[in-house]
Amino acid sequence: MTAATSSSSLDLLASGGRGKSSRTLLRVVILLFIAGAAISSRLFSVIRFESIIHEFDPWFNFRATKYLVSHGFYNFWDWFDDRTWHPLGRVTGGTLYPGLMVTSGVIYHALRALTIPVDIRNICVLLAPAFSGLTAFAAYLLTNEMTTNSSAGLLAAAFMGIAPGYISRSVAGSYDNEAISIFLLVLTFYLWIKALKLGSMLWGAVCALFYGYMVASWGGYAFITCLLPLHAFVLVVMGRYSTRLYVSYCSWYALGTLASMQIPFVGFLPVKTSEHMPALGIFGFLQLMALLDYVRSALPSSRHFQTFLWAAAGGIFSVGLLGLVIATSAGFIAPWGGRFYSLWDTGYAKIHIPIIASVSEHQPTAWPAFFFDLNMLIWLFPAGVYLCFQELADEHVFVVVYAVLGSYFAGVMVRLMLTLTPVVCVSAAIAASQLLNNYLNLKSPKPEDHTVVEGVDVTATKKAKGGLKSTSKPVVGIYSLLSKGIVVASMTIYLLLFVLHCTWVTSNAYSSPSVVLASRMPDGSQHIIDDYREAYQWLRQNTKPDAKIMSWWDYGYQIGGMADRPTLVDNNTWNNTHIATVGKAMSSREEVSYPIMRQHEVDYVLIVFGGLLGYSGDDINKFLWMVRIAEGIWPDEIRERDYFTPRGEYRVDGEASETMKNSLMYKMSYYNYNALFPPGQAQDRVRGARLPEVGPTLNTLDEAFTSENWIIRIYKVKDLDNFDRDHAAAAAFDRGHKKKKGLKKRGPRVLRTE
Amino acid sequence: MKSFLSFCFLLLVTLVSAISSTGDRLLAVLDDVAEKAGYSKFLGDLESRGFKITYETPKSESLSLFHLGERKYDHVIFFPTKAKGLGPNLTPNLLLQFLNQKGNILLTLSSGTPAATSLVSLLSELDIALPSERTGLVVDHFNHDVVSAADAHDVLLLPVPRPARDDVSDLFAAGAPADTPIAFPRGAGVLLGPGPLLTPIVRAPATAYLYNPKEQAEAVAADELFGAGAQLALVAGAQARNSARLAVVGSAEMLSDKWFDAKVTKVGEKKEVPTYNREFAKRIAGWAFQEIGVLRVNWVEHRLNEAVVGANVSNPEMYRIKNDVTYTISLSQYSWDKWTGFTVPANDDLQLEFSMLSPFHRLHLSPDPAHSTPEATAYTVSFTLPDQHGIFNFKVNYKRPLLTNIEEKNTVSVRHMAHDEWPRSYVISGAWPWIAGIGATVTAWLAFVVVWLFSRPAGERVVLKKTQ
Repeated sequence: MTAATSSSSLDLLASGGRGKSSRTLLRVVILLFIAGAAISSRLFSVIRFESIIHEFDPWFNFRATKYLVSHGFYNFWDWFDDRTWHPLGRVTGGTLYPGLMVTSGVIYHALRALTIPVDIRNICVLLAPAFSGLTAFAAYLLTNEMTTNSSAGLLAAAFMGIAPGYISRSVAGSYDNEAISIFLLVLTFYLWIKALKLGSMLWGAVCALFYGYMVASWGGYAFITCLLPLHAFVLVVMGRYSTRLYVSYCSWYALGTLASMQIPFVGFLPVKTSEHMPALGIFGFLQLMALLDYVRSALPSSRHFQTFLWAAAGGIFSVGLLGLVIATSAGFIAPWGGRFYSLWDTGYAKIHIPIIASVSEHQPTAWPAFFFDLNMLIWLFPAGVYLCFQELADEHVFVVVYAVLGSYFAGVMVRLMLTLTPVVCVSAAIAASQLLNNYLNLKSPKPEDHTVVEGVDVTATKKAKGGLKSTSKPVVGIYSLLSKGIVVASMTIYLLLFVLHCTWVTSNAYSSPSVVLASRMPDGSQHIIDDYREAYQWLRQNTKPDAKIMSWWDYGYQIGGMADRPTLVDNNTWNNTHIATVGKAMSSREEVSYPIMRQHEVDYVLIVFGGLLGYSGDDINKFLWMVRIAEGIWPDEIRERDYFTPRGEYRVDGEASETMKNSLMYKMSYYNYNALFPPGQAQDRVRGARLPEVGPTLNTLDEAFTSENWIIRIYKVKDLDNFDRDHAAAAAFDRGHKKKKGLKKRGPRVLRTE
Repeated sequence: MKSFLSFCFLLLVTLVSAISSTGDRLLAVLDDVAEKAGYSKFLGDLESRGFKITYETPKSESLSLFHLGERKYDHVIFFPTKAKGLGPNLTPNLLLQFLNQKGNILLTLSSGTPAATSLVSLLSELDIALPSERTGLVVDHFNHDVVSAADAHDVLLLPVPRPARDDVSDLFAAGAPADTPIAFPRGAGVLLGPGPLLTPIVRAPATAYLYNPKEQAEAVAADELFGAGAQLALVAGAQARNSARLAVVGSAEMLSDKWFDAKVTKVGEKKEVPTYNREFAKRIAGWAFQEIGVLRVNWVEHRLNEAVVGANVSNPEMYRIKNDVTYTISLSQYSWDKWTGFTVPANDDLQLEFSMLSPFHRLHLSPDPAHSTPEATAYTVSFTLPDQHGIFNFKVNYKRPLLTNIEEKNTVSVRHMAHDEWPRSYVISGAWPWIAGIGATVTAWLAFVVVWLFSRPAGERVVLKKTQ
């Protein structure tokens, strides 16, 4: 934290420092401080809890990394994972982005080579903070390309280091693809700007290299694949076509696409899917532009001929676009994926692909989230974009395009706040440094000096206050020390508040591992609720190594990572039907679910139940998604309406609908729950409902384990009855009920045929 | 060590003339221990086959089926008892638990004594129905013994039971002398539910029916009829999924010494013939107590059937799609005192399923003499794995009436092609034009570079361009 504040005050020193080398030294020191601040602010979770992998996806990445480290790269590349998606298995090596695991593996082996043996878990936990330091540096480089003012770069680095929008995905333990991808994203943008500015094939190639690394790391690479062509297109439309653009774009596209096709998961997508078509189209368009440019320069200039050329370019462009549309509808090019559709129409996924809509991070962003994640940067951001408009060189066009696109995407999907954060940091830094530069200037021009310095001064003030006519009058301006002092002081206060906010958000909102829950005891001390790990450990120690666990897909990666048991479905939601099968098993009656579970060789069913503790993220609250996803495949058997009361309420108490009460999920959640309470007092604290006096009975499942706070409940699937009875009858017999006599006499007698 | 143990085992096998494949502790439950004299030949046969018989009455304090949760006996035989219940040590739940722990039960009924309620509940759990008054008498006016039951017609003479289907192995009739009937004196019958676990061993003749002598002495109303004809099972077997066996013999009397030695005469014939009862009793007890019809899987092996490195590993955990594999299973059958190779009946088929969710292959397993011994027959099949990766099971699911259930499942993973297992591009003839294209491009580029480097530029133009 100190570094962030010191950076702004050090700006003063930096600008005051004399000599190039001392400035460089200062800059290096400041950047190191910023990196230190970025890393240390991400360590809350390690200090407060322990060095543990967080949430869901990181558990898979961690497991994959362990596999990579223990089996070697080739086996990892060809990894067929028979412990997930039972019994389908998953071609994991070909369906993941290996960048993250390979990075950790390289670090692991490098440290071993240096005889510093570090546990792979600690490398994974601390990878994201380490890369956040690099991201800050990349933001510094990118900002420096935008403005000559080096303090803007340092400010951008500081912002990037501690902005909660980025911290949300990069705290220690959040071992996800985004951990390294944001760094690669910013660096790729920097290299793109560099290549574009210089028209350099070398920088274009380096840009392609990091683009390749980015493709290897995160599916969000499509953002770059779309943003760079868009930038190029905007430049062309603005009449700024140049050989610099041609060289940099073509070297990036050709090499970058080749690099991206080396990743098995990407393969031929760059030439087959709509998401990648803009890049390909602009590549072709630029060839056309190059040809036209050559023709124009080679031929004597004639106004009509020029018009013809531009019309030809436009015509060919539209023909190309039409061809693309036809190729898409004919099926040569895959249309936009569901996730992309939901970017244009936020209601699309909810209707057509419930599995995408069911993920909370795919929901549209609530507006307070912008303030929560970016705080004061959100109002400095437009100012920075405005300043970019002022200059509007090629790189500023990039910032503008990025800002527009990034803002839109961040608005429709919560997780895309992450891609917006870098541009917000860059533009906010430009604005803030501009402000500070102007107001920290102690010199006031004397009116009589004005005529002399006009040439210099006008441009300076123009930057600060825009091109208003009044600014051209030299005597207008803020020269009083008091005003300057107030502005600078308030800016400093804002910066300090920003640091406070970032620290507070990081510590309170983003540092919970979600595997371990923390609560407060009445006396204010912290109480750790460790039911997840308790249950996973139970599975690890008490079940066969190949016992198949059925749970909702949210917990698939954790079961695989912590309990090391095969699962039916997990967070890699590649097979909607398989997930719907699990959804159907959970939401149907026992008689329907049991054959499904037998067919899939399920040994245990794991559910999350928060009713006792008031833990709201439990399976009953997610239940409607299971119903919806199952309904998508079996609309005749599962109907969402049946799970509501006639008045349309979603209830779990005595008034719940019969379908709800008979569903396996309901039964598993509330089985034996009554026993905890005095008769008739059973209470669900999440939904605030009083449960019926008689709890549900389970015939096909045996309760195997319930964790300390009842958050995790595990049931064992009974084997087929030894005597071919149905389980209800067998259970009734075990409870001592006699089979009703004379049952056989009703109806026609069943005759044996053999 | 292992060979030494098996040697000891073989020694033991040779010492004891015959023994059940699962154990020799037999509990006989009688109303009165003295009653055993009536069954001395039957019980003597059992003892001579190596069973150690304990006699108990239901009232006995010391009677219990379990000790510390383990079975105390391997087999139980119930003779008719007069008591309505069998007491707290033989409740239906305990009996069911006994079966669940792979104990076997031979249960006899009699028309004279109503079956104990706990046995009725047990049978009804297995979907075997007894008449509602727990007793009944089977009579047949066309197939009775004219010597002993000329008037009552309640001693049925039944032919030796042949298998119900021709793909079922013949356990009870094989080797029986022609024309020796089974005498079924004063017995009750049961109705079997439609489940696959139940097998009628002896069915009543088409003209037989069951009635209650006390209530239906005069006439049997059509809707009051409990059972008649082939629907009525006089001797029935039930085999649970864990292969525990329960046999119901409708007439306890047919196991008695009297009927072992009796001479009977069929209706319409003069000749007195000996009964088949002794041999049948031996076989039904032998079936119930796991002496015949017991199958065993000795070993299962699956291996890669390709000439590559590592193909010699047996039972690998992972294959690749489209691998050639060989699956072999070795089966033995226990017959009274020894294991012999199991030969699949002529009309039957032993099949291997290769399945993931549903079978991808269902293949005929044929005998493999190379791996067979007198004690075990190996069956084998070679096939190519499907072009689908996933977790598959080699599954032999051989469940036949009267034979031990065989459900042998071996799970393997079938992986996809690794990136270096595809044929190289130059092997594929379709790729040659493209390879030629690459070659042409490379050559043309090199040629261009050479021409470019070695052609002297026109000096003036360069200067001109530079000034531009």
